[in-house]
Amino acid sequence: MSAPTGPARASLRLSLSSLRAHKRRFAGTFLAVFLGVAFLAGTMVMGDTLRASFDTLFANANSGTAVVVRSADVVTVPGEGQGTREPVDTALVTRLRSVPGVAAVAPAIEGAGQLVGRDGEPVGGQGPPTLAGNWIDDAGLNPYVLAEGRAPRTSGEAVVNRAAAEKGGLGLGDTTVLRTPDPLRVTIVGLVTFGGEDGMGQSTFTGLTRADAERRLMPAPGRASTIKVRADSGVGQEELARRVAGVVPHGVEAVTGQQAADENLDQVSGRFLSLFTTLLTVFAGIALLVATFSIHNTFAIVVAQRTRENALLRALGASRRQVLGSTLAEAVAVGLAASAAGLLGGIGIAAGLQALFPAVGFPFPEGELVVGATAMAVPLGVGLLVCAGSAVLPAVRAGRTAPLAALRETAVDHSGASRGRALLGAVLAAAGAAATVAGAAGTPQVWLTSAGAALVVVAFVVLGPVASSYAVRVLGAPLARLRGVTGALARRNALRSPKRTAATATALMIGVAVVSLFTVFGASLKATMDRTVDRSFAGDVAVTASGFGAGAGGLSPKLAPAVGRLPEVATAVGLGKGVAEVDGGGRQLTVTDPVALTRVLDLGAVDGSLSGLGRDGIAVSRQEADKHHWAPGSTMVLAFADGARRRFTVRAVYQEAGLGGDYIVTRTAWEPHKVQDSDALVAVAFKDGVAPDDGRAAVQEAARGYGNPEVQTRQEYAESAASGVDIMLTLVYALLALAVLIALLGIANTLTLSVHERTRELGLLRAVGQTRSQLRSMVRWESVLVAAFGTAGGLALGAFLGWALVKASDSAGTSAFAVPPGRLAVVLLVGLVAGVLAGWRPARRAARLDVLRAIAAE
Amino acid sequence: MTAARVVDAVKTYGTGDARVRALDGVTVGFPGGRFTAIMGPSGSGKSTLMHCAAGLDTLTSGTAWIGDTELGALGDRQLTLLRRQRVGFVFQSFNLLPTLTVAENITLPQDLAGTGTDREWVDALIDVVGLGDRLRHRPSELSGGQQQRVAVARALAGRPEVVFADEPTGNLDSRSGEEVLRLLGRAVHDMGRTVVMVTHDPVAAAHADEVVFLADGRLVDTMADPTAEKVLDRMKAFDSSRDTGRGTAPRQRVTS
Ligand SMILES: Nc1ncnc2c1ncn2[C@@H]1O[C@H](COP(=O)(O)OP(=O)(O)OP(=O)(O)O)[C@@H](O)[C@H]1O
Ligand SMILES: [Mg+2]
Repeated sequence: MSAPTGPARASLRLSLSSLRAHKRRFAGTFLAVFLGVAFLAGTMVMGDTLRASFDTLFANANSGTAVVVRSADVVTVPGEGQGTREPVDTALVTRLRSVPGVAAVAPAIEGAGQLVGRDGEPVGGQGPPTLAGNWIDDAGLNPYVLAEGRAPRTSGEAVVNRAAAEKGGLGLGDTTVLRTPDPLRVTIVGLVTFGGEDGMGQSTFTGLTRADAERRLMPAPGRASTIKVRADSGVGQEELARRVAGVVPHGVEAVTGQQAADENLDQVSGRFLSLFTTLLTVFAGIALLVATFSIHNTFAIVVAQRTRENALLRALGASRRQVLGSTLAEAVAVGLAASAAGLLGGIGIAAGLQALFPAVGFPFPEGELVVGATAMAVPLGVGLLVCAGSAVLPAVRAGRTAPLAALRETAVDHSGASRGRALLGAVLAAAGAAATVAGAAGTPQVWLTSAGAALVVVAFVVLGPVASSYAVRVLGAPLARLRGVTGALARRNALRSPKRTAATATALMIGVAVVSLFTVFGASLKATMDRTVDRSFAGDVAVTASGFGAGAGGLSPKLAPAVGRLPEVATAVGLGKGVAEVDGGGRQLTVTDPVALTRVLDLGAVDGSLSGLGRDGIAVSRQEADKHHWAPGSTMVLAFADGARRRFTVRAVYQEAGLGGDYIVTRTAWEPHKVQDSDALVAVAFKDGVAPDDGRAAVQEAARGYGNPEVQTRQEYAESAASGVDIMLTLVYALLALAVLIALLGIANTLTLSVHERTRELGLLRAVGQTRSQLRSMVRWESVLVAAFGTAGGLALGAFLGWALVKASDSAGTSAFAVPPGRLAVVLLVGLVAGVLAGWRPARRAARLDVLRAIAAE
Repeated sequence: MTAARVVDAVKTYGTGDARVRALDGVTVGFPGGRFTAIMGPSGSGKSTLMHCAAGLDTLTSGTAWIGDTELGALGDRQLTLLRRQRVGFVFQSFNLLPTLTVAENITLPQDLAGTGTDREWVDALIDVVGLGDRLRHRPSELSGGQQQRVAVARALAGRPEVVFADEPTGNLDSRSGEEVLRLLGRAVHDMGRTVVMVTHDPVAAAHADEVVFLADGRLVDTMADPTAEKVLDRMKAFDSSRDTGRGTAPRQRVTS
């Protein structure tokens, strides 16, 4: 066998010369891969850089702590990050000091403290934690460093991190309120930094005297969250931890500072960073998937247009493999160039964000941009794969070109709409829809729904060409009437190659499907929250700590009694949160006055009685009770963070979990196990005849003394509970914009290629009297038709998958499904406008065409 | 009355050394109600003359007229409107839009204008063309000759002042060509239309009332009531004059 270099080089030369000749055709492909890869690479580089920065930050900040002493038991509730640990006794401090090799020991008290700014509004708290603790004088054991002023010495003095002070408009000597959650008046005597930055990310920190911290953040004096130990020089962390472990009592453990820092880091990078980068990667994946369809289409068209060229090559003796190879080599060349450019673009994006974030007040830790091998290899590989993978089928088709095809006139392609395809698609769609519905209805089976959803997506892609003929015929019907022959021609052109139309629209369809999936899911989530509040909140106003998530500071437990004493108020009930393990799994408990609760929350039908739960009684939601086979009278065991295991009797089973949660216990039952006492919500019912506005004003006035938390009506409360959904949706829309942009590039590219292919037709039309503006509008309407088809398909697909997602993720059967018509109409409108935009350039190029040249073109 | 004419028409292509004078001062009128053929060797400027006279292209100097309208004064949009209302076209090939049916192709210019079609006239045309049973077919289902007949019907459908045909039979065998030519003849003699046709074929030219001869971008001769033999003789004379070097180079270069 002869060396393959000759023929291989020939086919490489062919593909390179064809690339040079048709640069414009691949501009769209290049751009699609470039954008997708840049997004992916940017995400990865940013993730790596953030991780590395946090790594150094935590390592440096905690480098002085050799050993951390803490309670061994931890209760972790799913969905909440850090577990809850019982505080340790500070009496241990003296004992630890005497351990050989110990240089310094300090109790560390950590809790939540919401700082109130100069304007009376809380500082931060919209997600990142609001921390408060004791100011540790030993610089080695304190991750914060005093930058200005001095340490707190007497009760009521505090230091805050500089970023928080700036945000709240606070300076040295200012007096403000710290909600712990009982309001504490503090005077700021110092400003501190963390690892050289003005704060730890977006979190806020307030340092108090040890006595203040003990009183405010711990259940009792003489307790601390952990005890930190600094080692004498020459004593290793492991060694010291072993020595310390020997002197601590049962139920208390000693871990190295390194391990504690790693756990902290996991908290940040594991929760926040991973979530963040995973989210971005998923959207980069969607963008690349959309790109795959666009690119495949481009190659399919290019190969079809080159049939004669390829047939001539075959007739002249080129082998199948050479023709196939030359097409594939073209794809690889484009993919390589675009991926490399995309990689550079991604690094640029990450660098830009690094520069931009601090400017908008988000401290992106300083440091070198980390461009790891994975962050380079993965985007490059994915880009190449997407490009080459999309070109495989067209390349195979190119290789199969019969030499005779050079002589035949290529007829209009109707292959897409074959009966076999319609049948296969219908079967897939039916099977997929059946599986999805079966999995989503009744008791959700997530795997069945996912498999069904995947099948439905495949069915949509398979059915595309069949559906496109019908859809374009229907969608285009009014067009012929409205726009006359221009509209009719646009419609015919869109119908010409169902496969091409479908492939073009599929890219947009996927983008729009994801958009509408999230839109429907978000709307359903909001509707669910709305319904939860509506069904279960029977009071008049709710008092909430502003913000949501882990950062929310909570309300003072004294607020509910204070509000309850108002003449306008009939009932005011505080709902606190507790945690305990049930059957080995962490659960959230609602800590409240159960009898009063029934006056402001609707718990539905109650089996048993909520009065007299006492010290060892518990009320459980119907769903949890059924799961564990409990009925009034059953007994169960709660394991608390302090290691205590208590037997409880189920006294009541209620129908509606809603705001009340799944487990309700009295304050007396929770008291022995509490750490920092706070209420998440105070529900208030007015006396009969009290005007809502008057009642509300009175409650607001009473709340002023407790850090001025927000007083909301039912409607406002439901809306603020759902406001997180809107933030999420905005983010998702922004991320999906890229995928939609790529899909539009695909439409524009396909149109450009089609215009090129129809040069003679366009020339003829111009010769017999089509004006330039008629021609432009013809191309644009074709674009709009394709976009309309893609958008309509995407809306249908997205709404169905959204429904499946809502149902499948709802094991309790309490979720509402909502289709927001307004928002979906906006999506449709955006799709159509996008179609006009995508057709803009191709239409202009088509209109610029020289009539004579078009007629003469072969 | 002349339906279309050009006066001192000059058309040059390219610049510098590559400059070509495709039309070199041609003045010719195409009388209304007559069938005129344009003949001449390849590269003599026939197509160029036709394109310029029909408003598909603009002259470098000189004037072109359709009826009383001077084309040089018109913009692209006005030229387009003129083409669809007052001029018909038949090209050598690719005359029809593949996505439209025969019937739709015939009325395309009127549909583009948004004006109604003269049903009676179009039906009469379809009758003459003899494709009444093919109206719903697509061009790809027709033979080359049938396609050209549809193109002729399309060119006549709007009752244009003049129909320009560039080698309409160039791709056809003699029988189909004959049908198309007879159709053009009937359009002139029975329906009173004006046709200007470029052709290489003396037999085709014999269908015309008059033949004008071009060479090297100049009008060199005209012949009334042509027959195939007379035209052939004239062409041969032309060739020999060329061979003996009486003509200049086939492409005249401008050297200033
Ligand atoms: N777009 C153009 N650019 C440059 N030169 C051109 C162009 N079109 C025509 N020519 C030149 O102008 C001259 C006349 O061309 P034209 O097409 O009018 O000839 P013709 O008589 O129609 O020839 P044929 O019988 O081969 O169709 C030729 O020399 C040709 O090379
Ligand atoms: Mg010609």
